Amino acid sequence: MSPGSKALAEFVAEATEILDALGKDLLVLDERRGQEADPELVNGIFRAAHSLKGLSGLFGQERLSRLAHGTEDLLDRLRLGRLRLDDTALDSLIEVLDAFQALLAEAARGAESESLTRRVEDMTARLARLGSPSVSAEEDPLDRLELDPQVRSVFTEYEEHRLRENVRRGVSLWRVRAAFDLSDFDKGLADLNARLKPLGEVISTLPSARPGGAHGIAFDLIFGAQASGEQLEAGLKGTPAELSPLVVHPATHAAAQALVRAAEPATVRASMGRVEAPEAAPSAPAKRGGKKKGARAASRGDAAQAQQPLLPAPGETGASHGADSTSAAPAPHDALVPVALPEIHPVADGEHVAPGILPVAYLPVGGAAQRVRAVISDPPAGPGAPPTGVAPGRPEGDTSLRSLTQTVRVDIGRLDGLINMVGELLLIKANLQRLAESARQDGTVALSKLFGQELARETRGLERKLEALQEGLLEARMVPVGQVFDKLARLVRRITREAGKEIEFVIGGGEVELDKLIVEELSDPLMHLIRNAIDHGVESPDARLAAGKPRRAVVALRAEQKGNHVLIEVSDDGAGIDEQRVREVALTRGLITFAQAQEMSRREMLNLIFLPGFSTARSVSELSGRGVGLDVVKNNLGNLSGIIDVWSERGKGTAFNLTLPVTLAIIRALVVGVSGRTYAVPLNSVLEILSVQPKDIRTVERREVLDLRGQTLPFMRLARMFALPERPVSRYFVVVVGLAQERLGIAVDELHGQQDIVTKPLGGRLQSVRGISGATDLGNRRTVLVLDVAALLEEGMALERRRA
Amino acid sequence: MSRFAELLDDFFYRPDEDVAGLQDFAAGSDGTQASAPEEVPEEYLAFRLEGECYAVPIRVVREISKVPPLTEIPRAEGQLLGVMNLRGELLPVYDIKVRLRLAERPPVVAGPEAPPPPRDARILVLRTESGPAGVWVDNVMGVVKLKPSMLEVAPPGLRTSDRDCVVGIGRRGPTLYILLDSEQALAS
Repeated sequence: MSPGSKALAEFVAEATEILDALGKDLLVLDERRGQEADPELVNGIFRAAHSLKGLSGLFGQERLSRLAHGTEDLLDRLRLGRLRLDDTALDSLIEVLDAFQALLAEAARGAESESLTRRVEDMTARLARLGSPSVSAEEDPLDRLELDPQVRSVFTEYEEHRLRENVRRGVSLWRVRAAFDLSDFDKGLADLNARLKPLGEVISTLPSARPGGAHGIAFDLIFGAQASGEQLEAGLKGTPAELSPLVVHPATHAAAQALVRAAEPATVRASMGRVEAPEAAPSAPAKRGGKKKGARAASRGDAAQAQQPLLPAPGETGASHGADSTSAAPAPHDALVPVALPEIHPVADGEHVAPGILPVAYLPVGGAAQRVRAVISDPPAGPGAPPTGVAPGRPEGDTSLRSLTQTVRVDIGRLDGLINMVGELLLIKANLQRLAESARQDGTVALSKLFGQELARETRGLERKLEALQEGLLEARMVPVGQVFDKLARLVRRITREAGKEIEFVIGGGEVELDKLIVEELSDPLMHLIRNAIDHGVESPDARLAAGKPRRAVVALRAEQKGNHVLIEVSDDGAGIDEQRVREVALTRGLITFAQAQEMSRREMLNLIFLPGFSTARSVSELSGRGVGLDVVKNNLGNLSGIIDVWSERGKGTAFNLTLPVTLAIIRALVVGVSGRTYAVPLNSVLEILSVQPKDIRTVERREVLDLRGQTLPFMRLARMFALPERPVSRYFVVVVGLAQERLGIAVDELHGQQDIVTKPLGGRLQSVRGISGATDLGNRRTVLVLDVAALLEEGMALERRRA
Repeated sequence: MSRFAELLDDFFYRPDEDVAGLQDFAAGSDGTQASAPEEVPEEYLAFRLEGECYAVPIRVVREISKVPPLTEIPRAEGQLLGVMNLRGELLPVYDIKVRLRLAERPPVVAGPEAPPPPRDARILVLRTESGPAGVWVDNVMGVVKLKPSMLEVAPPGLRTSDRDCVVGIGRRGPTLYILLDSEQALAS
């Protein structure tokens, strides 16, 4: 690999990672459409766009860098609140993500297409124009916060925005002051941040005005709490943090009107959420704060208040007020309690309001199934929202979901384990070497029994270690299927929109692990099946209502591990497949004869949809069911030694079941012998083994078949197919192989048993060899070829079709 | 050496002929003739096919291996003798005698009907554009250094019909080396 291409590969790998993270965050935003966006999430996406910009710039990827720049600008405006994250903005962001993927794909190929360049330019321009200004109160709410202007001047724009937001929402604001020793303040600060995070939002971290002692440094953290003062205190127990509330003046009348509107739903929820004696509540945090300060002041013997420039209202007054009565609360300047919107709702002091107006209501994260809602509302929402969601010239949604990089992230612990194993193998090698040396030096002296035992012990050790190494390496190749599922979830949103349907997309079992290679190859077939389910499987909302089903259809994607296999199910609760229509189409296309159609079971008829040539563009609109290139899906799965099956019931839905091996690198194989040669057959495609006398072989129209429990089984002699010298045998073993829907009996001379084999591809020069998928070693440096069952099946069927 | 030691020898695979060693050997024998500085000799690996001397530039030779058991590939083109497993790497092994018109049909060297390989036979592992490939040779003679002045174009009569596998003749003392283009010789 040249240094240039290596750098490119690294770039692609890293950019893919960033895009994956970005995509995940976007998906979360998308799921919570309509709710207040989590600022942390927006900021995360902003940072991702920023790193992508830097990265692409570094690698000279002009177009990517420019688009990333535009996106970063947009996100910057979003996170600073200059722009509201409405549907248009979110759609644009999702669209930008698609463009990023396309750009990256081109970059990986080293190509640069004109159309994409233009699309990116349009998009960048659109991003710059985008924007509905955010709702801004006439008065800067930040002015209501009593804060030293000097302190205020050091805030970054983003911090100031966040602070303003928090004040506007009436979140209780606290200053958390903590002093740390200089030697480990970074650790202490990180710990403090980690504790604060679940309780609210750390808006800014500033060096404190108070000296932190000779060897110390103190910080002021401006903190918007989602939790009550008590919870805060409890959460910070054990840290050197001191809490003091920041005073927010009540809004002036004009602004208050706006706030009433803004806060109404929140207050309702707050009052529902907590049942507590309203009189006692407001005073509690104040008292606590006052007491604490008092205690500290006493113990230190200095005046704590004097060193609190951020807090003009002295703690004692607050404490006494709190003790007095709650009626004092509305009076400005009096309340030390973080007072929010006092005149709207006297009970709703800071700690009451806070839980109600969490900026983000986190969806409960289900353990087993994660739900993604993709509800489609008719696009043009209003005059202010141009339908930018569906961009002109957006390519069809059938771009591959395959990742652009070949890299697998491996936990360093796993690698360490592997290295350890190699170390132990080296030890064994040294022992064996010593034994070999002593055998050589002893020369003709009869080898002792002891020597033999020692050798046997070492080889056993070698075997065990090699097995462990093999297992470890296989594990390192495994990745969760969720990687693909996440990408599909994004896609579903788009397809749903295009199809104008309402879909609930349910994902389960994303944690099931598969070989990286399989996961990669799986993405396209899955995309195909899901697309089919949405396009053709699921009825329109009105049709569903008419059929007495809920308006919103469910499309599910589930993975489950079963032994050495993984089952993946793509199902919908749509109209199901009309097998009679399938039969008609197959007949008109000449895929089956009328006689064949007569004796077909329902299941067989359903399986006709996998036939090549069954589906054409025309049949999509013709057929109520589905059938877009399912033969391609079947082929792709066949390459992975996978099997696909279909279940469908009219009016109830359709399910495709995919069975896949966990890994392709090591497979269990049946070792067979033909004409003195040895071959391996992947066991996952072997259905059964029959012992057949030559007289049992029948011929139908000069092709050989077997009668298997009343069904005709196409039959093929491997020796004849491979043009090997045939040996006369008294009986054949027939290995019945099946992939997807096809069955074939392969006659061999001998069975040698089962073995785990590591298959190696035949390599560049031998790519054209038919019927062989690779080779393996059965020990003793003897190479054994692995049969390509899919290719043999294909060949057998082609042969049959030609003869028939 | 005891029988057991032999078994162990079989078990621990060792490349028995290291090209590097041959190079040293050849360099020593060549010391006297390296007088003309403007003529940079190129090194070739010389081997025999059906008694004739052939040579390929040494840079295309990755290694030389004893003949391991070969596995035939069913329905493969004739010049593909089979595949071999070289320290876990799967390599195709080709016959070039038919292309050079030294034999009518490729020898049967793989599969259960094949006789054990001759003692001197070797597989040259060559670097080619489409990956490494093995070539069956009857024996390896060694490394020769040939200066440009020792090379001649192949006489027209020597050219094999369809492909120009032979790029020239190297003459060194009494011996003639037929210089091969390995890419052409292995092209299918």
